[in-house]
Amino acid sequence: MSAAASLARAGGVVLARATATAVVVSAAVFAAVSALPSDAADTRTGGRASAETLAQLRETLGLDAPLWQRWGRWTTTILNGDWGRSLVTDRPVVDLVAPRLQATAVLTAVAVALAVPLALALALAAGTTRPRSARRWAAFATAGAAVPQTVVVAVLVVVLSGLLSWLPPLSLLPPGGSPAGRPDLLVLPALALALPAAAWAGGLLGGAVADAWSAPHVRDAVARGVTGWRLRTRHVLPFVLSPAIRAVAVVTAGTATSAAVVETMLGYQGLGELLVTAVAGRDTPVVAAVGLIGALVVVAGTALADLAAAVVEVRRDHR
Amino acid sequence: MTRLPRRLVLLAVAALTTTACATGSTASTTAELVRYAAVGSAATASNDPHGGLGNESDALRFALLYDVLTVAGPDGTTAPRLATAWEPDSTLTRWTITLRTDATFADGRKVRAADALFSLRRMQSKAAENYGRMAMFDLDASRALDESTVELRTRSPFAAVPEALQSATFVVPEGTSDFSSPPPGSGPYRMTGGDPANAALERNDAWWGPKPPTKRIEIRAVADPQARADAVRSGQADVAGSVSPTAAAQAESAGVQVLRRPAVTTYPVVMRLDQAPFDKPEVREAVKLATDRKQLTDTVFGAYGKVGNDLLTPGDPTSPRLPERNRDLDRARALMAQAGYAGGTSVTLHTTTAYPGMDSTATLLSAQLAEIGLKVAVQVDPPESFWTKTYAQAGFYVSYLGGIGFLDVSRIALRAASPTNETAWKNPSWERDLDAALAEPDAAKRAGALGALQTAVRDEGGYLVWGVGDGLDLARAGVSGLPTGPGFARLFIDQVRITA
Repeated sequence: MSAAASLARAGGVVLARATATAVVVSAAVFAAVSALPSDAADTRTGGRASAETLAQLRETLGLDAPLWQRWGRWTTTILNGDWGRSLVTDRPVVDLVAPRLQATAVLTAVAVALAVPLALALALAAGTTRPRSARRWAAFATAGAAVPQTVVVAVLVVVLSGLLSWLPPLSLLPPGGSPAGRPDLLVLPALALALPAAAWAGGLLGGAVADAWSAPHVRDAVARGVTGWRLRTRHVLPFVLSPAIRAVAVVTAGTATSAAVVETMLGYQGLGELLVTAVAGRDTPVVAAVGLIGALVVVAGTALADLAAAVVEVRRDHR
Repeated sequence: MTRLPRRLVLLAVAALTTTACATGSTASTTAELVRYAAVGSAATASNDPHGGLGNESDALRFALLYDVLTVAGPDGTTAPRLATAWEPDSTLTRWTITLRTDATFADGRKVRAADALFSLRRMQSKAAENYGRMAMFDLDASRALDESTVELRTRSPFAAVPEALQSATFVVPEGTSDFSSPPPGSGPYRMTGGDPANAALERNDAWWGPKPPTKRIEIRAVADPQARADAVRSGQADVAGSVSPTAAAQAESAGVQVLRRPAVTTYPVVMRLDQAPFDKPEVREAVKLATDRKQLTDTVFGAYGKVGNDLLTPGDPTSPRLPERNRDLDRARALMAQAGYAGGTSVTLHTTTAYPGMDSTATLLSAQLAEIGLKVAVQVDPPESFWTKTYAQAGFYVSYLGGIGFLDVSRIALRAASPTNETAWKNPSWERDLDAALAEPDAAKRAGALGALQTAVRDEGGYLVWGVGDGLDLARAGVSGLPTGPGFARLFIDQVRITA
């Protein structure tokens, strides 16, 4: 098979995966939101409308149609390039989502940039030291990954803002919602996202590092007198690169989802905060839009990771 | 280069310093910017000023961007705003409203009677969302007489038209149908950036009213009450709307101003008149007598509340002054026996965690009512389903009222046909008296009649109003000019300033 053909085939697989994910995620969002008690008509009327006016409002909003029809209608609008309108405020969904997309993208990027070196350092520490301290590092990673996100945020706020007064306790972005030029507002949420993710990925990759560490070629290198940093980067790292890239993809996806908790707690105006409040208001088109973006990021990330891992494996095997 | 005479240099330096000081001192007297962290959530933030106004952050912004017809004046009177005069005919069904002629929208158009009428009609068409705020008006029969005069028709003789036009009657240009971006307004400020959840506003120097002292105001929706309080304590906001009594007490000890809006929050306990055991008036009275109001008030509102007297709208200017109800367990037990419950009975009291203290209200009340043989099982419903499954349906629950006036409460909860007649108060003669009171042209007589109606609900109705909490806002030192009046009066923050 030619390179072009295999590339086209890989592209086709990614596209099929993205489509399938979009269908499954949006259908799941519609089903989940309508399974919750109360709906957008209740949100709009605040419980103070008669059954008759509620029925009228549901008809106007199209909430009286069965679930599959509502989902079908939404799919049609999406395929026409229109994100639809909020059921709660009638505002175009794109107006709600677009300004927050940048804020969350920046936050996620900073968090991943912090998490990756931390995770690699932790993995090297856990995988290449003597068994006793390796176990300690692994336990540290497992414990770190198990701390609930809310606790991480609370502890960071108490320490970095309360005790040390280094950072503001909330991450309130200026009107317009751009985090550019306000790195001080990014530190707390990015750390809160990065630390548990790094602990998780570090623990996971520690095993891969340990396997590579005991591989014959590493023992050869040690016998030849290669030590320290050179041994780790030249002889160990190439063998954990492909699982590491996959782990980064999962970390990115995980970060995008934990952002909901962190953003809400710190008042950061991102997609996560919007998602939480949209679920509370039963605003299906908004929830579906945010869910869809998240799902597509995961699909794209996984595809990129697969591609990068393949390239790394090919280069390593041809060396 | 020639050397300047030394004295001239000194003079120049002195002059520069003086001007620097002068500009410095004006800058330090009034700050350019006030940042307000208000109640609201990202997903419900809206540009539509005629809906439910559920987001406080939206309502505050609308009160700065748009003119309203009238506002609440001091002592419960109505003060002019866009409307300068209002005159009824002899039947009280036809009102002539005169508007000011010097108001202009941000796009340069003059504000006309047609714009005001259009806005009122739009409110009526969204009755499901704004609790029928315009229900008393026949707006199809109403008309704009000329550029600055509206003739408003009411459905029946109605004397409280100026009150009905208060505070929420935001005027937008006639024909506005797209609210995806904010329509032009004629108010004291204009929106210059951000979005509904986080807006930047700038003073409208062409506004007809008193010049606002602050150049820019930012209003941000912050859903979490603790986050709002933290924002002010850490200096990330200058004002925080509606914080909990606990947060207020903490902030006060940290040197932050606590602004109290009296008699704003009540958690009335609803007893449905059409469900046992509360269908018996003796049981309702027994509950009112057995409640330890002081314990509830101290626990739920702390230092920021007063004992309640079962009056639903104690902040309303027409609320009657009556002797307080004292706890009388013997009388309460006797009443229970009289109603046939000498051996006690069991009931379920629903509550939720939507507002701070709703759940502790239920647990405390359960213990207090045990003393008269009423075995109260407390059930805490999740806030998401409480308003749709429990509110206005359950026989016994902890409700919420956020400082609205008697006119509104009687419309939404005390008429037989009210959509949320939560206590099942269906009393034809009371409703006739209400209609008569609303048709009474003499203000003092009207207030008296409305007061008597509130007394009747207090004594015979199904509401236990055990305490009244203050609305609590936080402000950094130096902030002044914030309104503390009841209801929507709190929204008009155009005179806010920070002086250093």
